[in-house]
Parts: sequence; structure tokens; C-alpha cells
Amino acid sequence: MAVQLSVGTRKGLFLFRGEPGSGAWELEGPLLSGWSVYHALVDPRDGTLYAATNNWAYGGTFHRSNDLGQTWERTEQLGLPEESGLKLAATWHVEPGQEEGTLWLGGDPGVLFRSDDGGATWKVNDGILSHPTRDRWQPGAGGMCCHSIQVSDGSLYVGISAAGAFRSDDGGDSWAPINSNVAAEFQPETYPEVGQCVHKLLAHPNQSERLWQQNHCGVYRSDDRGDSWERLDGNGLPSGFGFPLALDANDPDVAYVIPEESAENRVTSDGRLGVYRTADGGASWELWSDGLPDQAWAAVLREGFGSDAQGLYFGTQSGSVWAAPHSGGWMEAARDLPPILSVEASEWP
Amino acid sequence: MALILLPSLLAAEAGGRKQFELDVETVGEALRALPVANLLLDEQGELRRLVNVYVDGADVRFADGLETQLTPTANVRVVAAVAGG
Repeated sequence: MAVQLSVGTRKGLFLFRGEPGSGAWELEGPLLSGWSVYHALVDPRDGTLYAATNNWAYGGTFHRSNDLGQTWERTEQLGLPEESGLKLAATWHVEPGQEEGTLWLGGDPGVLFRSDDGGATWKVNDGILSHPTRDRWQPGAGGMCCHSIQVSDGSLYVGISAAGAFRSDDGGDSWAPINSNVAAEFQPETYPEVGQCVHKLLAHPNQSERLWQQNHCGVYRSDDRGDSWERLDGNGLPSGFGFPLALDANDPDVAYVIPEESAENRVTSDGRLGVYRTADGGASWELWSDGLPDQAWAAVLREGFGSDAQGLYFGTQSGSVWAAPHSGGWMEAARDLPPILSVEASEWP
Repeated sequence: MALILLPSLLAAEAGGRKQFELDVETVGEALRALPVANLLLDEQGELRRLVNVYVDGADVRFADGLETQLTPTANVRVVAAVAGG
């Protein structure tokens, strides 16, 4: 079974078809020329291709394609209610919901939308928009983006930087902060209720109690749906700072991160491009760099790391796409693309 | 009929049409009638900060904004501001 990679860049969307471990990838694109594609994925339910699209002049919006990018429809109804006093600055992440036709879309300034018609129309989530702690949320360098949305065993999770992680057990009506034990070392109070800077939040697809997050202040694992977190950096990780995170659907103890040197110097740690892997729930980490360059001052953004049953895939801000089977070396699938914002993998029949 | 001219990205979003002839009285009416209205106007109906609109060569921000009156032969050009990278 081949893989399709949906690679969002600052200058459009590229689709790659091939197999991890093979150097030959078929390239299509750029699609959506003129748009920065913060995130794109193929809906596993029906094959529709979605994209969270942004333009410096025309704002943030959402596109979908029923023919894998040959033609596109753009939502004409997406925005925040006037009484909120807020305006939509960008769209960041799209996530299929549990019900047929349902989608979730995260955006800046820390907002979440729901669609029940496959993305044609959207309704803002009032529980996040009017969250009682919103006045304590502060935007980070990337804005106040709702970049992580997870739908898992009846619960919803969002990660918003720099507001924190939140869980809803009632379909999105109400949201509880889940930031206990998670540090916010950039604030006067190190462990506040909210304000932590989540960089990426994932729920394990087959063990719903287990969450992972790459945070501004460390890597964390939770075994109780976010009620408490254990900090995991050290034990082989060169730095707790980074953005992307990937999991292994077959093994909840496996996770992958790509650390950066620090918040003040956002390049790959030790001047090398390295993926770090844990196979014991984060107790120890090992560098996995076979095939990756030893000298590289690269950066991989929060959406730039994807995985599936066949392998792992990431894209750098310097425009390279790397792919590897779960056991094997990394191979460069493409280079010299525009800065890569997102990578998602899907089956290609 | 006022003639509305779109840049290429907006034309692609408008089904490939670069020009629209509209029987409208103001710039706001013209923009709201376009299939790309939500890319030009934000959710509160205001002209996006980096979208410029020129009527017969004059920037509407120095006239009456969206209320700027259009003559039947007005030429309305939509241009993204010089920005980005």
C-alpha cells in the first residue's frame, strides 16, 4: 500500500505519493497557489482533502476538495461573532469529528469551530470562545493558535498556545483546563491553571487515557486523560524544547520528538537533524538519525511531523521532506520546497 | 455598470473570473456582491487591512471607504497591499 503525503507549505500544497524507504516519490503541486497551507489532510472517512488556508491579505479560511485537489471549494461562512470583539486571524488545524460530516477547525485567536456539513459552514464553539479563563491567555510568537484538536473515545481535547490544554466530556459545551504539573516557566507563577504553552498535543489512537504533549517547557505524558502529567525530558533528550510530536498507533509507549536547542535559539539541537524516539513511555530517549544530515540547523514546525502504519514523515522549514519506515533509515523525499508548515500521511490505494 | 477587476488569486477563487460588471451604487455593495466577498471583508463587514480598493485610480480609504459612490462607468480595482514575503 502506498502513502500519500499532504505537505502544506507557505506557498501552496504539495501531494507526494510513494512508500517510506523508497527514494522515488511522485510529486503533484503546488495546489492552492498563493495560499499558506497551515494544515491539510485527507479525511479517512470519505477521501475528501481539507486545507486550513491563510493569506497575508485575504485572511484565514478553509478549502476542501472532493477530487484530491483538482478542484476546490472555499467556505464562505467563517468568522467570529461581532459581540466577541474578536476577529479571526488565521486557521490552523482541521480534524475529522466522530459523527459523519462533522469537522473541527482550530484558529487564532484561540478559537474552535465545528462544521456538520463537511466544512461548507462553520459555527464557533462558545465553550472555548467564552471560556472563563480567556482573559488569562496570552498569545505566543505564533499568535494564540488553537493548533491541536483530538477526538478520542467520547472526549475532545484542544491545545492552544499560550493558553494550555483543555478537555471536553460533553461534546464541546464545556471545557476543563488540563494543565496540572505542566510548567509555564516564562510566567511568574510556574504552575498556573492556564497559560501553559502547548506546542503539540496528541491522544493515543488506541489507548484513549494516554496523552502526549510537546510543550514550550518540556515533553509530557498523561495516563489519565490529562488530569495529571509527567515531565519526560532528560534521559537522552538533548532539550525539552521543540514543536512536533508523533506517535505509533500500535504501541502507546512509543513517541517521537524533534528537539530544538531552546526557546531562544530555535534550531535543531546540537546542530544536527535528529528524531528522538522513546519506546518506554518517555523514561528514555534515543537518537534516530540514520540517513539524516549530521550538520543541519533546521526547524520542524508543530504540524510538520506525520505518521501512519507504514512510517514517519517530516518536513523542514528549509523545504526538505524526509520519510522512514518504522524500522529503517531516513530518506529525503524532496528538497527545495517552500517552507513546510504541515505533513500528514494517508493511504494511497 | 461598474467594472470590478480582481487580481489572479481572487479570480481563481471566483471560478476564474477576473472581471465583474455590477449595477451597484457603492464600493461596499460591489464587494459584498462578489463571490470572494469574505476574502475582502472581515466578519464584521470591514475592508481587510491589507486589501486596497481603487475607484478610477483613487484609494477609497481616502474617500468614503465602503460608502464611496460609484458612477455607472466606474472602474474598481482590488489590489493586495505591498506586503508579505
